[in-house]
Amino acid sequence: MRFDDRLAALLFLALGATLIAATLNFPAFPGQKYGPALFPRILGAGLIVCALALFVRAQRAAASGAPLLRIDPALKDPRRIGGLLLVVGANVFYLLAAERLGFIPTAFLLLLALMAWFGVRPLTNLAVALVMTAAVHWFFGTLMRVPLPRGLFMQIVAGG
Amino acid sequence: MTRRIDRRGFVAGAAGAGAAALLPGAARAQSKYPTRPVTLVCPWGAGGGTDATARIVAAILEKDLGQPFNVVNRTGGSGVVGHSAIATAAPDGYTIGMITVEITMMHHQGLTDLNPTSYTPLALLNVDPPGVQVSTSSPYKTIKDLAEAIKSSPPGKFKASGTGQGGIWHLALIGWLQAMGLKPDHVPWVPSNGAAPAMQDLAAGGVDIVTCSVPEAKAMIDAGKAVSLAIMAPERNPLFKDVPTLNETLGIKYSVGAWRGLAGPKGMPADIAAALTAALKKAYDSKEYKDFMSSRGFGVTWAEPAGFAAYMAEGDKAMGAAMAAAGLKKG
Amino acid sequence: MTAIIQAFGLVLDPYVLGVIFASAAFGLFVGAMPGLTATMATALLVPVTFFMAPVPALAAIVTATAMAIFAGDIPAAMLRMPGTPASAAYADESYEMAKKGQLELNLGVNLVYSALGGLFGVAVLILAAPALAELAINFSSFEYFWLACLGLMCAIMIGSNDPLKGFISLLLGLGVGCIGIDPAAGFPRFTFGNVDLMSGINFIPTMIGVFAVSELMRGAMAIDLHGLMVQDKVGALFRGLGQVSRRYWKNFLRGSMIGTLIGALPGAGADIAAWVSYAVSKRFSKEPEKFGTGHIEGVLDATSANNAAVGAAWIPALVFGIPGDSITAIVIGVLYMKGMNPGPTVFLQNPQFIYAVFIVFILANLLMLPLGYAAIRGARALLAVPKNVLIPTILMFCIVGSFAMTNSPYGIVLMLVFGVVGWLLEENGVPVAPLILGLVLGELLEQSFMTSMIKSDGSFLTFFARPIAGTLGVITLGVVAATAWGAWRRARAG
Repeated sequence: MRFDDRLAALLFLALGATLIAATLNFPAFPGQKYGPALFPRILGAGLIVCALALFVRAQRAAASGAPLLRIDPALKDPRRIGGLLLVVGANVFYLLAAERLGFIPTAFLLLLALMAWFGVRPLTNLAVALVMTAAVHWFFGTLMRVPLPRGLFMQIVAGG
Repeated sequence: MTRRIDRRGFVAGAAGAGAAALLPGAARAQSKYPTRPVTLVCPWGAGGGTDATARIVAAILEKDLGQPFNVVNRTGGSGVVGHSAIATAAPDGYTIGMITVEITMMHHQGLTDLNPTSYTPLALLNVDPPGVQVSTSSPYKTIKDLAEAIKSSPPGKFKASGTGQGGIWHLALIGWLQAMGLKPDHVPWVPSNGAAPAMQDLAAGGVDIVTCSVPEAKAMIDAGKAVSLAIMAPERNPLFKDVPTLNETLGIKYSVGAWRGLAGPKGMPADIAAALTAALKKAYDSKEYKDFMSSRGFGVTWAEPAGFAAYMAEGDKAMGAAMAAAGLKKG
Repeated sequence: MTAIIQAFGLVLDPYVLGVIFASAAFGLFVGAMPGLTATMATALLVPVTFFMAPVPALAAIVTATAMAIFAGDIPAAMLRMPGTPASAAYADESYEMAKKGQLELNLGVNLVYSALGGLFGVAVLILAAPALAELAINFSSFEYFWLACLGLMCAIMIGSNDPLKGFISLLLGLGVGCIGIDPAAGFPRFTFGNVDLMSGINFIPTMIGVFAVSELMRGAMAIDLHGLMVQDKVGALFRGLGQVSRRYWKNFLRGSMIGTLIGALPGAGADIAAWVSYAVSKRFSKEPEKFGTGHIEGVLDATSANNAAVGAAWIPALVFGIPGDSITAIVIGVLYMKGMNPGPTVFLQNPQFIYAVFIVFILANLLMLPLGYAAIRGARALLAVPKNVLIPTILMFCIVGSFAMTNSPYGIVLMLVFGVVGWLLEENGVPVAPLILGLVLGELLEQSFMTSMIKSDGSFLTFFARPIAGTLGVITLGVVAATAWGAWRRARAG
């Protein structure tokens, strides 16, 4: 997904302007000339200058009238875009489900679904998902004491 | 501001729903607490003083109560993140945490709505008073010399550091200056990322005074880079016998301290809280705890829940007044 | 002398040796697995070492970190995902080498010069710790301000083929670094009342996002195509190493020295050491045009530097109890926990423990050669794992690794957001490495600037008043001028 550099420049410009605008209500640092607003403002100004430079450069180069947004052909292939969205979606799923279900079922389902989409054979898939979930849980949860979410699963298994 | 309250309302609601779903488990848990691992939240990073205290207490509790007590560091936001994590956890006794003096300060600065009453206090375990440290190359060898020099110098000549703007050691400085009849900004505060960088800046000649606690300054003092001129406490610390108090040298009765204690979310079942307090008392009295704390130079102070709550309320008022005087208070 | 003999006795105990081997395996695994980092390895070891005696506890941390910093180079070269932040500076270069069919040479150099750089840092730690600590402790906010500026200049010098977009990326990183409680006034910026945002943007989940997750997204798109991994087997590792060594031995010395100095400075660690040494290597190279196209020279500098920094970071930690980097910040806690209070007295009170640490350091760097060799060989097995299994597995580790940095879902949110941002930036030709450098240096830059201004009552001249600060300031301005002059000449010529 490639934006034309002019469009990207406008985005960065807006970002720089927002950065500065958001500092307008920052309080002064009592007794000091410079406060918490100083750095964001310098950075915002820097972004605006760079964005303008990028715009001018792209404007000079783009005489041919290239499209403002060029979608990679790969992104039009449902299988490819599916893979991309699935990686993002897997994270979202984990965030939504892990607290409630617990780490073990969430991780297991996540691995199972991703590998199924990528075309791993069902038996291999099941075996890898099981082993990986168990190994990660044992290593991080038990050995290293990372507080992986317990959720419903541990409540049922470990009672309470 | 309203947004934050809404969010917390939502979290509280969700926690309530979670607790309802847990009801059979919770009922069982109350019969013989604890029946599963307990999470002990530490609002400060792994390796720091609070982390060390949390870990030693957790280890003793684990031995005593027979379930793992896992120390979980939830750091950042000057302590707001960890303190929020403790306050918003399900009050079932399976998430408790170490709360620190910052809970009496952060809400005055408008960083959070949480204050000491947002918790079920379990026990106060430790108090460390601030010291007054100067570099060994400083011309001032006693607290009297230093105090005279500060008083007779124009505002802004001396610079002090020790923690972030509005942090506990900053307030310690403000209190001391006020007790000497000076303005809170007579000695400007140079914010630092904790006591260790401030002590380094002291040795590098970047600041003149560091008002962190004496144990935090110990490595630099041992290295011959800094000296402690006084502590702001009612009496001397037996571990640092040679450091006088402000009272005995300047006749100033000002004292303050950074404390650490254990607490749970508000609304914990009374029997679980009582069981934890009893276990904490045993831990506090153990040789293991006392030896550990004295090896770090940390002071040990005990207060049971009611005393702890009163201590926090008193500190909260004093901090609010000091912060208002220094113009650090918001809202 | 008796202390040294005692120390050998402490280290050569079968239990301690067992701990060393286990932590070596742990460190290699954590370093080589994208999503798990050296800092995290140390943090995870805290509860484990809590119940150990001092020597095995410290041995575990020393060994695991040394191995992890090296092992981070492996996925950088194979997958273009730096395993630890310390490998980020030259991940692209390594991957370009792999694409040219020089994976073996790259990994061979990384292995050997990581071990040698590590030994260099340890040698300095053993011989000159007090003296170097004495120097490092003189750094006040003025010096750090110039140092941060020099670090930022590195981002421009490392450059990409598009310096303008590199600079935008740097500004984005610095801007993101402003989120959270500001380092001077304590005011929460851009947090929208969110508690997690008050803690700021943790740079490790961010790094996992922009490097690993965005690469996984690209890999998932091209699951049936060749990609991600450029080579599915590893040949002879040490072929060509002799020639490279003869040609670039000075780079090794320079990289190790830079790494040691930066490592010994409180607050700057292996990651910054790698960036700076890579930039210096490019600046003084006879063939700077080859950088970025898969050229071994800068890799050799940087891989020596980051491992040298690991040992050197212990210098201020041991002598003054001041952390050299995020790893030693945790180490200091462990030292206290074991009753070895940092300070010059630690050398007097418990000399046998300190000598034991030194011995473990040497041992770990020597063990790095055979174990690292085995790890690279083992990575061959990893390469044989089909992509459709590897991507979900790495993603799982990224999730757990990000979670463990904040102990909350916030780390995963950061990782995901920056994964998508990193993917979009790369799609549009904006390099992501400067973003990470900006995030790392942003707070140091702002904090040192603000505190210096408070100290100097708002006078800029004070930034040059101290001897070291003045020197660094002049160097910085010189570099700025030279870079601007070069750009102007190029613009006129082009």
